Amino acid sequence: MSTHAAPGRWLGLGAWLVPVLFFAVGPVVVLLLRGVGTTGDLSWLASEGGALGNTLKVSTGAALLALVLGTPLALLLFRTDLPLRGAFTVLFTLPSAIPAFIWGMGWLSLASPRAGYLNRLLGDGTLNIYGPAGIAFVEGLSGLPLVLLAGAAAFRRVDPALEEAARVCGASPVRALLTTTLPLALPSLMSGAVMVFLMAASSFGVPYLLGVSASPPTRVLTTRIYELVLLGGDGGLARASVLATGLLLLVPLALVATWALGRSGRVRLSAGKGMSFRLFPLGRARGPATVAVGVTCAVWVLLPLAAILLTSLQRSFGADLAWRELTLAHWSGVLLEPRTLRATGRSLLLATGAGGLVCLLGLAAAVLQRSFRRAGAGVEALAVWPYAVPGTVLALALLLAFSRDLRFILLGRVAFVLALAHTPWLLLIAYAAKYLALGARNSAEALAQIDPSLAEAARVSGAGPLRAFVDAPLPLLRPALVVAFVLAFLACATEITMSVLLVPAGSEVLGTLLFELQSYADPAAAAVLACAFVALVVVGQAVLARMGRRAVEVR
Amino acid sequence: MAALALEGLFKSYGTTPVVRGLSLEVREGELVSLLGPSGCGKTTTLRMLAGLEHPDAGVIRIGGETVAGPGVRIPPERRGLGMVFQSYAVWPHRSVEENVAYPLTLRRLPKSEVASRVKEALRWVRLEALATRRPHELSGGQLQRVALARALVANPRVLLLDEPLSNLDAALREELRAEIAALRARLGTTMVFVTHDQGEALALSDRIAVMNQGVIEQVDTPERLYGEPTTPFVAGFVGGANVLVGHVRDWEFHTAQGDAKFPLPAGMVAPDGPCTLVVRPEDLELGGGEGTLLPLSARLFLGHAAEYRFPVGGTLLRVVGPPREVRAGELLAVRIWKAKRFASR
Repeated sequence: MSTHAAPGRWLGLGAWLVPVLFFAVGPVVVLLLRGVGTTGDLSWLASEGGALGNTLKVSTGAALLALVLGTPLALLLFRTDLPLRGAFTVLFTLPSAIPAFIWGMGWLSLASPRAGYLNRLLGDGTLNIYGPAGIAFVEGLSGLPLVLLAGAAAFRRVDPALEEAARVCGASPVRALLTTTLPLALPSLMSGAVMVFLMAASSFGVPYLLGVSASPPTRVLTTRIYELVLLGGDGGLARASVLATGLLLLVPLALVATWALGRSGRVRLSAGKGMSFRLFPLGRARGPATVAVGVTCAVWVLLPLAAILLTSLQRSFGADLAWRELTLAHWSGVLLEPRTLRATGRSLLLATGAGGLVCLLGLAAAVLQRSFRRAGAGVEALAVWPYAVPGTVLALALLLAFSRDLRFILLGRVAFVLALAHTPWLLLIAYAAKYLALGARNSAEALAQIDPSLAEAARVSGAGPLRAFVDAPLPLLRPALVVAFVLAFLACATEITMSVLLVPAGSEVLGTLLFELQSYADPAAAAVLACAFVALVVVGQAVLARMGRRAVEVR
Repeated sequence: MAALALEGLFKSYGTTPVVRGLSLEVREGELVSLLGPSGCGKTTTLRMLAGLEHPDAGVIRIGGETVAGPGVRIPPERRGLGMVFQSYAVWPHRSVEENVAYPLTLRRLPKSEVASRVKEALRWVRLEALATRRPHELSGGQLQRVALARALVANPRVLLLDEPLSNLDAALREELRAEIAALRARLGTTMVFVTHDQGEALALSDRIAVMNQGVIEQVDTPERLYGEPTTPFVAGFVGGANVLVGHVRDWEFHTAQGDAKFPLPAGMVAPDGPCTLVVRPEDLELGGGEGTLLPLSARLFLGHAAEYRFPVGGTLLRVVGPPREVRAGELLAVRIWKAKRFASR
């Protein structure tokens, strides 16, 4: 129902489209055109085949791992009477809330060939986290929640009558579960795995940490792009944009795959609302199942975090494991250092600004989506799309679009250079563009639950269109906006992938500081910072939990 | 002067016409109902009145002022109306009195006047005791009374009611219906009432406009509408009468399907040719020696009487008479003793 005057609507659409197209969509399109249009000598591409191969290998491995581990785990957590399943669910969703880079650091502490804690217990070189397998392992772990959440949603939607029908036909409880509910939920679980694939292919921090310094080095597309941009000299940017185009083309493939899976899933799932189904009693298997889930949780989630904590307390990484080697020196050293404080200040400022933009533009997207019948879907697509673009690609696109070389020509004569590259503004734009989806999805879902008559009643009472919106639906949208803000704030404050490409020289943010400390200088100092990140995320998640409302995870 | 005038309104959504040339006048202080089945365009008409939709063609005047028409489009907030929605639309984040005070606050009235008028409006709907409550603490009937107070507090030129009773259970509906009637007697506000429930419309209205497929079939007082429907649709919808389509030949009515024929009731003069016969269920007689033999499909016991249904002429012919022991499938003699004839359109 449109309650706004037509010209106002179109004005609003324009005011929203201009920044979104100019700052988020446009640069990527330009990059795509440049990448596709690159001619001349492409023989260098052959030498990059390995990076593409590694990207596919690592991402497939991560997706399979998340699917194989996530499916039984989702069944146990969401369909059985497993004890402590609430606590387990919270712990198992941590991996996607904490940046993957930190999980990489944790596993590096545990399983680096010589100094890793596990290798010291098991004997030198038993485990080696470096290389493609290690990267896939860590990415699979940090993507696990995507499969779990997809599974939870699917299990909730499968009509319990289907399973009951199988029971009445003579199937045992286990057989009924495995032959009806599981196959019906499988498309959703698999679309979760496709998301893990996309996430792993876009990931930069983990492959850099565990690949570049491996012997032989394992390079993936994202780390190659980074190297080409920073060290590639004159031809570097051009080559990087060709690789970025290749990486970008994985996105539509993955989206088509999820769309197809979603379609095949939707046909058979009942669209009913929250049907209550009986939890599957584990019976005598309760004990062993609890132990198995508990051990998995301890090894996958708690152990890496404990390892980081230990590293942060050790005098030096690789020193003997003894009480006298523990010290708080790193903590006071890192956290009070001016460099850290400046980076923290910058990050918090940027994250606040980006969070605000995400809420504002996301809310506008939701309102536009509702007031335009047909164009609404397009608005949503534009708002959500940058989220699917790998961070490395988005950052490179912005870098190219707002470098000194690119001139914007107005009216055929006035040329100007919007040289935002190597200024903090570009970071702000990148963060806001990337996480706009959080604001749009959260607001759209909340707005859909608000009856239009609330605003109409305000109009008839004498309020103009703007006043009616501010007085009636906006206060009801506040919880959703807070959720969107916190999610975007956390994501921006801990962002690494785009930051390392976009950060201006000499003005670090938290993400790049962590990256530099870990990669070049001081693992112990990095571990301190990582602990601080984890604390920040836990606080943020606690705030979200207090909001008493499940955040809309963007997929 | 008419409080409200609608002239030749048209409205379509996409290619679907919803309102097709509707004209209506409402006098000062009058309560007019828009009555019709769902999808007949009554709510769209009300929304155009409120300014929430804009007519494709036609003119709307409120108190002589044109609010919608060629080149004129007064937004809802400047029409000086009150509106009650089917979904209550009571703002959940405001207390009862804040809800009611809203229209007054927008008119920038002094605080003391707002307070006294809110108090008065809450007294009208007997909610003074709940002034500081939050909407989630109220029942559906109380919420709708809050909505009523909010719609009336600023002295609207016209009060629009969009199926205000449909979300309530039967007892509450009765109670709130009486409340609306009492408020009207007290305030004399002009009201337009949209409903699909003919009982509601008959009980409350000064006049009823029966709508069907985007046009008004008949506007009249409840008594005349019930007693003298001018179209078969009105007769069927308002009086619950049977509508039989067919033709007359030799003083007998034949259904269009050709599955039954009835002798014309005594005193009806009808030339041969196609026509529509409208018969109230109580104007049909069961049993007796003469009549048309029809197979009974169902018998519904109503307490004081029973309703008998016969599949005839493409519909279910309903007959109301004294309860009798009969079984489905039995052949019973049915005789029309009073009917109204409409020439086929």
